[in-house]
Amino acid sequence: MIHTTQHPKDITVVRPGVERLTAVNAKAFKDAVVALIEDGASQLIIDFGTVTFVDSSGLGALVGVLKRVGHRGDLVVCGLNADVAQMFQICRMDKVFTVYTSADAAVQKLAENQ
Amino acid sequence: MSASPLKVIVAEDSELQRLYLCSLINALGYQAIEAEDGAAALDLIRNTDIQILISDIEMPNLDGIALTRAIRQLDLDHYVHVIVVTGADDTEVREDALRSGADDFITKGGSTETLKARIRAATRLINHAKELAERTRALKEKNDLIEADLRAAANAQRQLLPDLHDDLLGFHVASAFAPSAIVSGDMFGCFEVSDDMLGFYAVDVSGHGVRASLMSVAIGHLVSPDYFRTHGFDDSGKPDPAALVAALNARFSTSDDDDYFTMFCGIINRHTGQLIFCQAGYPSPYLVDTTGDTLPLGDGGMPVGMLPFARYENNTHTLSRGSALVICSDGAAEAENPSGEPFGNDRVRSIAQNLSNVGVEQVPVDIVAALAAWRAGPPLEDDLTVVALERK
Repeated sequence: MIHTTQHPKDITVVRPGVERLTAVNAKAFKDAVVALIEDGASQLIIDFGTVTFVDSSGLGALVGVLKRVGHRGDLVVCGLNADVAQMFQICRMDKVFTVYTSADAAVQKLAENQ
Repeated sequence: MSASPLKVIVAEDSELQRLYLCSLINALGYQAIEAEDGAAALDLIRNTDIQILISDIEMPNLDGIALTRAIRQLDLDHYVHVIVVTGADDTEVREDALRSGADDFITKGGSTETLKARIRAATRLINHAKELAERTRALKEKNDLIEADLRAAANAQRQLLPDLHDDLLGFHVASAFAPSAIVSGDMFGCFEVSDDMLGFYAVDVSGHGVRASLMSVAIGHLVSPDYFRTHGFDDSGKPDPAALVAALNARFSTSDDDDYFTMFCGIINRHTGQLIFCQAGYPSPYLVDTTGDTLPLGDGGMPVGMLPFARYENNTHTLSRGSALVICSDGAAEAENPSGEPFGNDRVRSIAQNLSNVGVEQVPVDIVAALAAWRAGPPLEDDLTVVALERK
């Protein structure tokens, strides 16, 4: 389901490949991203640019992925629409994840940080 | 094959032909049932559960084609395999028979081996259908058991919910609770925690269905008036709902799964109307005053059981007399209409705003009704809880 794009310095941009990240597909999303991490990916950008809605299960899966990355790497998000951003805000996920406006901005920042 | 031989109807008007076919079929281990024309065969099909018919084409009363067509129009709970007997080169007749619903052919005067093969093929299909029906029946039986269990669980869960159509410490409380499945991942409670203090909470477990409901029931049992008394006050006796939420977080963030819940938890003083609350990812409730002004309370907070290091904060607001708090789970704002548009916070807010006109009892009812109209048929995809709490 997910689409990935590789960038220099081992940065991976992940697009969930679904419009709605919900209880229906949250586990598949998490399993796919965890598989990337197990294959060695450690600088991850989740691009929500084409995602219109994230429910509580979707958010749970995202935090599950963050726990998997742990201190071994970085996981940031970008492209949140107004509804998704509001959900991040009400759950204070903006304090847990670094949020970028676009994948380009996120790639640039992660590259600089290394 | 079962103990009693499978029956096969032989529809043939020529007595000689019929007796010949019947003897072949009986010799194959089946039991041939004679029909002297199409009408007699149709009667047998209607009144027995025989599933194989071997039929001639030209017969008085009802010919083979009309008989086949009539069988296909019957509302039977089993399938009837129709094997039509034709001449070797009757291509047109065979096409006619196929169009009317025949399954297979044998050639008049053809080999016994072919007849045997055709009947065996029909028998295999009948046995296969029987196995499928048996499996479906077993599955349905299991499913009925599971559903009965779920309904019992839903009853048990409902009994955990407070009966809120009463006055509590000078507060008038009303609620609505609508599970998306039979059981729900939502839970709420409201009770006296001291002579002066009313404690309440609403919880929404991530996901829904059985898994979420198990967690919500565990929370419902845990968060009792006693739990409020022991975890919801600081050392000086001041309400500290953030401490209660932090205690729950410590308890529920030990597991390795992605389950968590959002919560809104508050303690109100009956004399002063001072509300101290902690918001943990639950949607902001609306504070509605007597003029209809509405104010969303709180600007967010981390959910419970998601991250062990989460910190929670208290906020304070005063409920003047006559004002009310409308707490509504995200099942309302996120509910979509048939064209995919979410109900949205503004619509929830405008119903809450009406509280001073319609009364506290009516608001939960109105939200449930507005959502049903918004969905226009399909049930809610997420659990819904509405609690309205008015300071009299």
